[in-house]
Amino acid sequence: MRQVPATLTDSQLVQRCREGDPEAWNELVERFSRYVYAICVQGFRLREQDAEDVFQEVFTRVYSRLDTLRDDSAVRPWIAQLTRRLCLDTLAAGSRVQPSDEVLAPAQEQALEDLDEAFAVREAMTALSEPCQEVLDRFFARDESYRTISAELQLPAGTIASRISRCLVQLRERLEGRNEGAAPSSE
Amino acid sequence: MATDDYLDLRLSDFLESLAEGGRAPGGGSAAAFTVALAAGLVAMVARSSRGSWKEASAVGAQATSLLRRIVPLVRTDADAWEDALEELRAAAEGVRADVLEQKLEGAAAIPVLIAEAAVDAALLGQLAAERGDGSYRADAAVAAVLAAAAAEAAAHLVEVNLAVREDDPRLAQARAGAEAAAGAAARALDAAR
Repeated sequence: MRQVPATLTDSQLVQRCREGDPEAWNELVERFSRYVYAICVQGFRLREQDAEDVFQEVFTRVYSRLDTLRDDSAVRPWIAQLTRRLCLDTLAAGSRVQPSDEVLAPAQEQALEDLDEAFAVREAMTALSEPCQEVLDRFFARDESYRTISAELQLPAGTIASRISRCLVQLRERLEGRNEGAAPSSE
Repeated sequence: MATDDYLDLRLSDFLESLAEGGRAPGGGSAAAFTVALAAGLVAMVARSSRGSWKEASAVGAQATSLLRRIVPLVRTDADAWEDALEELRAAAEGVRADVLEQKLEGAAAIPVLIAEAAVDAALLGQLAAERGDGSYRADAAVAAVLAAAAAEAAAHLVEVNLAVREDDPRLAQARAGAEAAAGAAARALDAAR
């Protein structure tokens, strides 16, 4: 069985899916499942059952309509758009309100933007070296002090801030590279 | 004053509440607030140095993260002391010794956190004083000095807390942190001269 590395770019992954590689499909679901679920639950506050229904439907549509995606690098915004539409349909079905993007409250829009940003950062982090991923995760996600990080990683305490800075610069470069040319593109 | 209100106060009102009688807000809240000032200054220096320092934004992000961590401690320290004092009063009446120990333990944990954040702010201040834009290095040095003072203050609060014994590793850690912060402040002052 052929393994699909998690380091493939979105475009490369979509290309492998188009070629009918089942492992690539597994990787695509793995890569975007948390994102889709987070949009449903954190962005639209769907109930668990509704979120699961939307989740299933999103990936069914991705599977059946991937050929209609014009720009392979834009698979993430495409999936986000599909998910948003299905979430709105679900909410509308419950409240008899006509689905529309205008239904989104500013707080909801902000929550979706925050989610996008968080997932983009997480994705970009996977392209960094292990030591960089670790030091960033410890400082920003686990709120560890420089002293704790230096003790755990056996590094001089005075160098931790500089290490984090260098890793953040690399992360920003990755994010800037990712943002170039990844505009939404749909069916 | 209810400690829930501290973070919503105008600065002048907060200072007034510090000067009022009573124990809270007290030294711990003031130390945490000082670390917040230091972290804010470093963030400002970093933002102002983007044109000449490649890692300025990254240092600003760390300073902002420190600020996010330290601000709640301004209130939490006061809350913990209020709790501990209440139990001290109860213990004076001969009851609830176990609860008192637990509350004092909680009150001691907060200055330890303040001390750690203060050391980090001092180290970041040093970095900004060494590499930030020349016009702002004096501000970075001020940040490091403030943070070092807060680290020393927090170490003192750890030391005098009734729940911390002389051989408690948290005390050694807080003292070592205060020393490291003082060193960082001295280097920051040198760099800014």
